[in-house]
Amino acid sequence: MSVARALFARASAFRFDTLSARIALLYAALFALVLGLVVTLAAGGLSRFGEASAARDLAANARVFDEILAARARQMGDQADVLARDFGFREAVATGDAPTITSALSSLETRVRADTAFVVTLDGEVLAADPTGIPAPEMLRKRLEDGIKRGIIVSGTSADGGLALAAAAPIETPDLIGWLVIAQPLDRAELDRLVELAPISLEASVVEATRQPQWLRNAGADAVFERDEAERLLYHVSDLAVLQDGIAPRLVLRHRLAQSLAAYTSLKWWLILLAAGGIMLVLGLSWQVARSVTEPLKQLDEATRMIGEGREVSLAIRTGDEIGRLAQSFTQMVVAIDERERRIIHVGLHDGLTGLPNRKLFTEQLANVLVRRRAGEQVMVAYVDLDDFKMVNDTLGHPAGDSLLRLVADHLREDLPDAQIARLGGDEFAILIDAIADKASLGKIADRLQRSFDRPLAINGQHAACGASIGIAMAPGDGEDGITLMKNADLALYRAKHEGKSTYHFFEPALDEAARQRRQLELDLRAAIREGGFELNFQPLYSLAEKRLTGFEALIRWNHPTRGRVNPVEFIALAEETGLIIPIGEWVLREACHQACTWPDDVTVAVNVSPKQFAATGITATVLSALSASGLSPHRLEIEITESVFIADVDMTLGTLHSLRNLGIKIALDDFGTGYSSLSYLRSFPFDKVKIDKSFVEDLGTSSNGHAMIRAITTLANALGMETLAEGVEDVAQFEVLEREGCQNIQGYLFSRPVAANAVAGLLRDGAGYQRQLRN
Amino acid sequence: MRHCLLTPLKITALVASVTALAGGAALVNADTPASVRVQVVDGTGLPVRDAVVELFSAKSPAGPIRFPWKMGMAQKNQQFTPGTLIVAKGSTVAFPNLDMVRHSIYSFSKPARFEIELYGRDQSRTHTFAVTGSVKLGCNIHDQMRGYIRVTDTPFAAKTDQNGYVTLSGMASGAASLTIWHPQLRGPDNESSSTITITGGPQTQKIKVELR
Repeated sequence: MSVARALFARASAFRFDTLSARIALLYAALFALVLGLVVTLAAGGLSRFGEASAARDLAANARVFDEILAARARQMGDQADVLARDFGFREAVATGDAPTITSALSSLETRVRADTAFVVTLDGEVLAADPTGIPAPEMLRKRLEDGIKRGIIVSGTSADGGLALAAAAPIETPDLIGWLVIAQPLDRAELDRLVELAPISLEASVVEATRQPQWLRNAGADAVFERDEAERLLYHVSDLAVLQDGIAPRLVLRHRLAQSLAAYTSLKWWLILLAAGGIMLVLGLSWQVARSVTEPLKQLDEATRMIGEGREVSLAIRTGDEIGRLAQSFTQMVVAIDERERRIIHVGLHDGLTGLPNRKLFTEQLANVLVRRRAGEQVMVAYVDLDDFKMVNDTLGHPAGDSLLRLVADHLREDLPDAQIARLGGDEFAILIDAIADKASLGKIADRLQRSFDRPLAINGQHAACGASIGIAMAPGDGEDGITLMKNADLALYRAKHEGKSTYHFFEPALDEAARQRRQLELDLRAAIREGGFELNFQPLYSLAEKRLTGFEALIRWNHPTRGRVNPVEFIALAEETGLIIPIGEWVLREACHQACTWPDDVTVAVNVSPKQFAATGITATVLSALSASGLSPHRLEIEITESVFIADVDMTLGTLHSLRNLGIKIALDDFGTGYSSLSYLRSFPFDKVKIDKSFVEDLGTSSNGHAMIRAITTLANALGMETLAEGVEDVAQFEVLEREGCQNIQGYLFSRPVAANAVAGLLRDGAGYQRQLRN
Repeated sequence: MRHCLLTPLKITALVASVTALAGGAALVNADTPASVRVQVVDGTGLPVRDAVVELFSAKSPAGPIRFPWKMGMAQKNQQFTPGTLIVAKGSTVAFPNLDMVRHSIYSFSKPARFEIELYGRDQSRTHTFAVTGSVKLGCNIHDQMRGYIRVTDTPFAAKTDQNGYVTLSGMASGAASLTIWHPQLRGPDNESSSTITITGGPQTQKIKVELR
């Protein structure tokens, strides 16, 4: 049982799910089946043939044995004849010379080695040396007289009263006077001696009818039959001639079938051995054949798996058959996939427009460079932002912008062959220069960078210039890892942009601190929006024509919980950058409208709207919502915008302005004179009011040019039907110049600083600052 | 012993026959001469040839017995010729060799035990048979040669012809014994005896014998 279980366990451990095992087993099983059938048939045939031939042999042997017996009897008869014809013996018998007869018989017994010799006279007398055991003469006489000369008699001389082969010879003087009979017991020894003469091994016995078992008595004479005793035996039975009345002995020949089948058995074993060998051979061969088929398949399987894991694979199948072709196609597929993957990776890691590495690849390159950086070497990371790219894009169109970027990239490649250049997106580039010696002049390198961006560009035949702001961080000084370096370079870039265009700035730790503060400020700003931390102050606008305060500009104030009042310049810029300007602007609009409601009807409120706010869709809806919520008349609301609103999308901006104007809202252009091409904007939109930047007002006291500028602006505005307002007026001198040069409205400390909402009524009632002197 | 018992009968027969021969004519003339025609058949009814039939009447005729055949048993063509010869007691039988080969003669029979050494062509030997009975002759070198000599003391003896018939005549009337001898006859000394009453005149007797 345990062996069987072990075998079963091994069999189940064998992998039947492999194709080669299945093929090999199938073929072996088929072959084994056929071979098994053949062996079974052949073995069966052999057995039958063996049995049949044994039966045939036995029958033939029985005949031979009969002849042996007959020959033996004949021989005995001949020997008897010799004596029976002897003259002296005949005389002795004829004359009844008993002593002579018995001596002659004894001598005969000795001579022919017969067991018994005796004379039966015609008168029924028996003459013998020893008459014991000799059958009664009357039992013999009839057959003797019938001329039967040979046959079986019961010979009492043998111990068991067994049977004897007897031969008779007539004694004639010259007429028959008796018979000389000699008998030889058919005992085991004799039979065995006779059996030796037979060509196949036999066991012979002569059995009297009375001693025969039932099956033997029933058996037909001269037939071969099989009997299963302890083993398989073949029997042949034949009746024997008798010389005595009242007996019917039979000769029983027995042959062990196993003996004659032994030869066939060994043949059968050879056959089985041969078959087993054949099966093993077929198993081995079909395993080989199956392997030759499945081995390439296994390789393909393995290759597929490895490709799935993203490893490199080469297939070594070079056959010309189907599998070879499959392998070839597979290899081609792998190559194609590799190619596509490379392309995808390239696309994933490169910028499609310029072909430069993108941010992701740049990050990796930077990481690699930092890992490889040797002591005493520096790595420079520069972040670059094109200064006027937006304008190029807006004025010349996006294709031109793309061309510009490509040209810039080409220039960088040409000028900085040893640098790794990446485009981070939009108009941002990053440059990585490694292996910079400790003593090297970083400034020179930065200048080289700057110069590359300052090169003139030709786009669509037009000359263009595109400066860039550059922020630089150095490893190891400004950070050991890529993330820090990139952040610091970004901070430096931020500073560079703020310091003015076309310049570079190296990272300083202070920048980092500033950035940290900015982040905190942003968090605080969000909290302020959430919790209502803002309030509006209002600065009066004095009309020279009406000699009164005609409106107030709403100005946001943030009372920081810990820092106190925060400069709007500081947090508005942050709000613009972070997009928080939208909710803040909305609040300002609502609050301003709300406050203005409490004022006299001829007093307007001016609200600053940032370009971001303007670019966001829904400014018109916000304004309407604020107006309707407060119930303020639209003509009392004045929106102040700067020229920068036009940078985003001129057409959309104009559309929005027109829709606001149609509502009855006044539009004022803030910070006039500081933008790019102010006059073109004045032409594109009929502003209600132009606010002259305070930088022009400041100049008034010091130079005469200021007068001319103011006059030019007022003249222009008047010509275009726009009101003018001067900001930042602080002293009387300025006021007088402005009044003289035709400026219509004045705003500034000369009248009042921005005041809290509750102070507005007081100013309107009592007059503001210089207004009171003017009244007097 | 048997012969002793039969002696008075034989004597009687002998006397009778002598009487018949001596005063023959008157008797013969007075009566129709007695004759017995005997047919010997075997068990199946077939006639037996060369069977010797002897009749012993009450009155035995006197005088020497003479048979009308030669007292000789020749050897011719390796056969005894005639095969069966009836001789009177005391007869001397000649055995002429008529063959090219030599023959010997032996007899183990009780009435005459003798042996004649080989002798050649045209030679003859003789033997005198003094005792009645049957003598079986053989040749020692030719097993198949068989000759039978029936030594008898009755004149009424003859052997059957091919039809098994034999006719005896001239015996006296009255009770008689009839003996049949044949070498194959089953019986003591190959003889078979029966009694018969001679009526005088021809009579027929059919005797069945058993042969081996």
